[in-house]
Amino acid sequence: MKKLRAYTLLLAATVVSIGVGSLAAPCFAQDANTGNGKSFADTKQVIGLEGLKHNVKGTLVAENGSLVFTKGKKKVVVPAASIQEVMTGKDSERAIGGTVGTLTMFAPYGGGRFLSLFRAKIDTLSIEYLDPSGGKHGAIFTLPQGSALGAKKALLSQGAKSSFPVEMEAEAQAKAKEKKQ
Amino acid sequence: MKLIRCLSAPLPLALVLLSMGSTAWAQDKAQAKIQASSIQILAVQSDEVKLPIEFQLALYENLIEQVQKANKFQHVYRDGDPAAASAANLVILHSNVYGFKQGSEGKRQVTTVTGATQIKVHCLFTDKAGKSELAQDVTGNVRFIGGNLRATYDFAKKVAQIAVTNVQ
Repeated sequence: MKKLRAYTLLLAATVVSIGVGSLAAPCFAQDANTGNGKSFADTKQVIGLEGLKHNVKGTLVAENGSLVFTKGKKKVVVPAASIQEVMTGKDSERAIGGTVGTLTMFAPYGGGRFLSLFRAKIDTLSIEYLDPSGGKHGAIFTLPQGSALGAKKALLSQGAKSSFPVEMEAEAQAKAKEKKQ
Repeated sequence: MKLIRCLSAPLPLALVLLSMGSTAWAQDKAQAKIQASSIQILAVQSDEVKLPIEFQLALYENLIEQVQKANKFQHVYRDGDPAAASAANLVILHSNVYGFKQGSEGKRQVTTVTGATQIKVHCLFTDKAGKSELAQDVTGNVRFIGGNLRATYDFAKKVAQIAVTNVQ
């Protein structure tokens, strides 16, 4: 009888803990999505972040009043309040890049040149920030097409400054697109 | 015989004069070097041309990186660093972009001969008081391999080389 009561208690505790866990999980998910954090995967740090090599791919996150760039175990944090300027732009890169892209240049019959015609559109994000001693830094990132304005918005919401508001930049980009068409 | 003696007499004198002249020239050249143990690199300006911000930042960051790599200075200070004010033997590098032609990586790779990116920068080395020590125009190019921003790397390497040859 005692054993049965103990099992029932254990079962009840398990059910309660599972229930609490399932309730807590959506809360965590909400925090990640709608709370402070906004992450941008497949971001390439072109130049400017200390301790990182040029052209490394990682994840850019705007959270807790900072810009965080993570590449594997390496993590660079820039306080958003120290960011003086955030600007976005548009560019393109070879669809087949890196070492393979370079090797294709030696392909016969102009194969490499032909492959160079295939280009992927990308967005650029440039930031100007100050280090704790007041020294000026600049960093350039490239992001998948259409995500730079979102990243700028996220950084501004964390406390970064910009002389060019997001709305104006969006308008300018839309106008440029119309002009092209 | 006399003619040979007449001709050979001023020869040693000429040689002595020549060697004196060359040493004096070498001394002048050595004196022309800038005496500096630290450098402050100011942010790149572009008063005359409209330069995209990514080029401006890449020029500045590459400059700092290449000058640091050159190992010529004990300290390389960034723009706005207050520690530079108290540094002895400081030389300040001002850079102003006066020419910019944005090419196209795609064109470069397809045609080889077109689509080059070129950045022309006026570089000025001054002392703390603002007295000009050395002024030089430097051009950064990317003609074949690499993205447009590679022109900023080319420029920075050239400036670092100027610092190495002209600073003692």
